[in-house]
Amino acid sequence: MSDATSSTEATTGLVPDVTASRTLTSDAWRSLRRRPDVLVAVVVVAFFTVVAAFPRLFTATDPKHCIIGDSKIRPQGFGEVHPFGTDPHGCDVLAQLAHGARPSLLLAFVVVSASVVLGVVLGMLAGYYLGWVDGVISRTVEVFLVIPLLLAALLLLSLFRNVSVGAGSFDVILLPAVVLTMFGWMGYARYVRASVLEAKNLDYVTAARALGASDLRIMVRHVLPNAIGPVTALVPTAIAGVISTEAVLAFLGIGVRPPAISWGIMISNGSEWVTGGYAYLLLFPLVCLLATVLSLVVLGDALRDALDPRLR
Amino acid sequence: MGRYILRRVVQAVGTLFLVMLVLHLLTTLAIQLNGNPALAFFGDRIPSASQLAAVEARYGLDDPCYDQVGNPCLGPFVERLGAYAQGDFGTNLRGREITDIVATAAPNTLRLFVVVTVTWLLLGMVLGSVAAKWRGTASDHGIRLTSVLIDAFPVFVLLLVYRYVFAVPLSDWAEETFGASSLPAFWFRPSFDDERPWATIVVPGILLGLAGSAAFIRLVRASQLESYGGEHVRTARSKGLSERHVVLHHVVRNSSVPVVTAIGLTFAEALAGAVITEGMMNIYGMGGVLWEAVRNSDVALVLGIVSILAAVTVFVMIVVDIAYAALDPRIRYE
Amino acid sequence: MTGDVLLEVDDLAVEFRTSDGTVNAVNGLGYRVEAGRTLAIVGESGCGKSVSSLAVMGLLPATARVTRGSVRYRGTDLLALSRKDHRRYCGEHVGMVFQDALAALNPVQTVGFQLTESLRSRHGSSRRDARRRAVELLDLVKVPNARQRIDEYPHQFSGGMRQRVMIASALALDPDVLIADEPTTALDVTVQAQVLRLLAEIQAERTMGLVLITHDMGVVAGIADDVTVMYAGRAVEQAPVRDLFRAPAHPYTEALLRSVPRLDAGILHDAGCAEVEGADAGNGAERPRRRLDVVPGRPPAPGRVPPGCPFHPRCHRAQDVCRTDVPPLAPVVPGRTSACHFADVVLGGARA
Repeated sequence: MSDATSSTEATTGLVPDVTASRTLTSDAWRSLRRRPDVLVAVVVVAFFTVVAAFPRLFTATDPKHCIIGDSKIRPQGFGEVHPFGTDPHGCDVLAQLAHGARPSLLLAFVVVSASVVLGVVLGMLAGYYLGWVDGVISRTVEVFLVIPLLLAALLLLSLFRNVSVGAGSFDVILLPAVVLTMFGWMGYARYVRASVLEAKNLDYVTAARALGASDLRIMVRHVLPNAIGPVTALVPTAIAGVISTEAVLAFLGIGVRPPAISWGIMISNGSEWVTGGYAYLLLFPLVCLLATVLSLVVLGDALRDALDPRLR
Repeated sequence: MGRYILRRVVQAVGTLFLVMLVLHLLTTLAIQLNGNPALAFFGDRIPSASQLAAVEARYGLDDPCYDQVGNPCLGPFVERLGAYAQGDFGTNLRGREITDIVATAAPNTLRLFVVVTVTWLLLGMVLGSVAAKWRGTASDHGIRLTSVLIDAFPVFVLLLVYRYVFAVPLSDWAEETFGASSLPAFWFRPSFDDERPWATIVVPGILLGLAGSAAFIRLVRASQLESYGGEHVRTARSKGLSERHVVLHHVVRNSSVPVVTAIGLTFAEALAGAVITEGMMNIYGMGGVLWEAVRNSDVALVLGIVSILAAVTVFVMIVVDIAYAALDPRIRYE
Repeated sequence: MTGDVLLEVDDLAVEFRTSDGTVNAVNGLGYRVEAGRTLAIVGESGCGKSVSSLAVMGLLPATARVTRGSVRYRGTDLLALSRKDHRRYCGEHVGMVFQDALAALNPVQTVGFQLTESLRSRHGSSRRDARRRAVELLDLVKVPNARQRIDEYPHQFSGGMRQRVMIASALALDPDVLIADEPTTALDVTVQAQVLRLLAEIQAERTMGLVLITHDMGVVAGIADDVTVMYAGRAVEQAPVRDLFRAPAHPYTEALLRSVPRLDAGILHDAGCAEVEGADAGNGAERPRRRLDVVPGRPPAPGRVPPGCPFHPRCHRAQDVCRTDVPPLAPVVPGRTSACHFADVVLGGARA
């Protein structure tokens, strides 16, 4: 009848585990390995990471080598000079795609790594020491949370519009990286803080402290492992988020800077030419962006499901 | 409860002040690093001499504190706060009062949010409930997969594709089939028309709502599952109460708490999404104004709008906190 | 009327659908509840005692199914009713008190609401009548300041008080039978005693039948009249409480009783307690030191019950027949049953 909803929640504890021990991580790993969508996602992400790291494996052309006479050539297919065509300035699209992967992905990895480190450290300090340390950090989290990431990025990066920073791989992403990290750490901090608070009350932590373990040791060996799992599940989705945000910023001219090329910039330029019949200029970078973002989100979602026993 | 509200309001004022301070400090630092304070306000444009002077005067940029990197420049900060308190948020590049702009733009953003919230609630409640009820079946998995994919689609890409690929053909088709001034024609028009604000906002609103609905669907599903399986539901059933009573007073009532919290948490993201949506669809709302301001490097306007939006976020957070306390008594007594 | 048979469970079997196949949680349980008498159902975790009571109340989750048996309340077979009617019936006549009051009470509704929602929803009581009744109920379970406390929320009560609230809410419709599933397990020992005493008083006042599900033999000794010992989903011994304690008729019951630590028997955990022993031996008597008795091994997981007598792997009296034939629950002595091939032997070798 209408009771299809009485779920298994009330069952656990009534029927003890019938099988042998199944730890959470081994369960997680097993369920991840089985899912076809996860496997596809991993392949896609790995592919684009390789493209970003070694663009020259995929194209011999220099994206900056643009001959105006060769502009707006439609895709010619693989094996030709311009497999994906050229843009209005005569630059090879495939080369741009390959080289453009790096700023987008590098920015995302840098931002997320830095945010995670910052967030985890602050979260642990706040949760472990409480008192005024927690007061300051929690307040800071609150304040930064109020300001939406995109808005802060819009404001701060607009102010830097006329500043040029250099042309190396890290230079072009420096400004957006700093701004996005500054407003990206709060979630991890809150999460870790809550984990620390929970773990502090556990008996084995009290025991460790009674045995004279130093604060740092307790934090790293006992508390951190518990908090890290769920935080890991957040990482792929966060990376996807930064890639998307970079595209928006590039669209407005305040992301990765020309003359460096990124997918965001390609999308921004390409969107102007769709109606002119050159849809490929928009579609190629868009598809790459979408594929990467979708795969990362699938991964993040799968990780989260795998690591959260209640959601089965 | 009254004490709780008071406490929250006081906290919110404090947070607002801190938010303004943080924005100010970051902006100041950016200006200082930029080298030329006044020019920073113009991005990559070249201002005229009078514009430059106006900005300098308005924002106290001739104050020497802007020449030293790291100086918090509290003087200009206090002055600006004072100006805000009096309702003076400055002007945009063309000299129009920001408060004026906001007054015209805000209603459109509100309309957008109404459409978005309705979409969220509808999608969330319907799909989430179905997924919870048919837990473990194909429908459940299907809904979850779809919501993951919807989640993955950045709003930006969704709107881009709609605007540049679908909007024109769709609106042409609507015009041909229903006539140029019919409702469907307005629905699909890729730009905003302030004579038919609702009609032109509906589709962008739905798209934005779609993009953010995954979290809601997931949330409704999870909280309903918890409620259905919860022990207090079992107790209620043991008293022989009708299923309808149980669902209303024990399941829905308990799930409403996380839903309200979720609205609060996603507000900041929704705001960012609104900026993108309004920008891409040329809607004259707060987000759209901000979008154009960034494009045109009208930094004064950007600063004003961001400050206002931050204040709005603080306000929304108090409201959500209060609603949360009203719904969950455990919170009121902390 | 004292002695009336209120609730009769006969050959109840419940199976669960799990990811590893179907599993029998209860396999042929039967018992009888009489007005004015307390039945204790004892067993270790996983023996099916809680599941059986959920089956009686019609509260089994969707993954469970009653495969055979009957549950009769004053003659009416509850299992034959539709789920809706089953629950309505039970709500009226059979109350249930759950183990963890904090989880079993709704945290966002007031205690007053939860005490009287059945009155208001099913009997149409007015709000004022309901409030009055709520105060009465709290007074009944001896919660002080009842009038004030009906507007408070569960988390504002202490553990013992919350359990009393649970009991009160189960009594709201004046049921004849009360099933208490480990009502004191989550409480401190002193509070346990209070709650048990309360249950006994209420039962006496109303001549109710009380079913007490527990794993604590001390609780059984305290308030039960009759005992049903469960193992691996079925009853293995049923007897009046004194008889059971004095002379168990099943090896499992024997083992359970033996494993209760007794301070006067000189049982010490290991050699390291020499001082304690020395202090106790003030009167010079020799006290034999024994290790604490435990029942070796673990109860079988519901899907893995051994053939023959389910207890045979852990039984020191096991013979060949025990490994192959399931012993039926048969009378040993008038008024007592036991499911053991050698029940009379066990009965004979009782503690002096």
